[in-house]
Amino acid sequence: MPLDYSLLKTGNEISDQTYTLSKKEVDLYLEAVQDQSKREFDESGIELSPPMAIAALSLRGVVNDLQIPGGTLHIGQEMGFKNSVQVDETLRCIASLASNNVRGEWRFMVVTLTVLNSAGHSVMEGKSTIMLPA
Amino acid sequence: MKQQRTENLKIGADLIPIKKMVTMGQIRMYADASGDYNPIHIDEEFGKNSQFGRNIGHGMMAAATISELMAESFGTAWYNTGKMKMRFRSPVYPGDEIQTSGQVKKLEDTTSSSHITCSVVIISQDGDVIISGETSVTVDKSAPDGA
Repeated sequence: MPLDYSLLKTGNEISDQTYTLSKKEVDLYLEAVQDQSKREFDESGIELSPPMAIAALSLRGVVNDLQIPGGTLHIGQEMGFKNSVQVDETLRCIASLASNNVRGEWRFMVVTLTVLNSAGHSVMEGKSTIMLPA
Repeated sequence: MKQQRTENLKIGADLIPIKKMVTMGQIRMYADASGDYNPIHIDEEFGKNSQFGRNIGHGMMAAATISELMAESFGTAWYNTGKMKMRFRSPVYPGDEIQTSGQVKKLEDTTSSSHITCSVVIISQDGDVIISGETSVTVDKSAPDGA
């Protein structure tokens, strides 16, 4: 059953998903974006996940749980990375609605994103602005 | 090693620009990698009937080149302290050649670290601004790689 977006209120949690960012997924991501930058490793020699792979993961739950309709446009994005993430780390991605307004034929929604590592520490925070047909 | 050393950075300094071709194959691969299968990106018929008249690439796929630019310049400091704020201004289309560039706008030094703010922009081969925004990173002066 399609979501009635007009019923979503500021502060509503719209997604809370846990994913493991595997080596295979990181490699697929890097190939998709043709990233040529040097792979980074932590002090113990474990490969780190590129920050934007984490950001893409944080939006996966939003796309699926918010049942984003075709034609939705992503018009703005803010994000801050706080701690590096090892490849194969399990991450909890939480998204909440920060605003929900209709202007003309479009609905504008701002979604806040929080990504926590397995220790519960924040590794990324962000804000996405999307517009979808009203 | 392409990493930018902060002692050489000055306001107005350019980061090393990145050029990429955007292809439909890359867009499909990004859909698989991100889980974003919005038909505006991958369904030819849907794209033809959209306001764009064709498929468009994911904004976050294009934005990834900004992160690549920053990672190339600042290494793991970008992974640990990077921030970015972007506006997606125009769609990116399959067949576009995009150039991502950045320029240092602000430098705030303490004895132990430098906080660097850059303006960033992605421009198509036609000169259209695809994404514009600002990034920042804090570089630890004592770390060997600035992280």
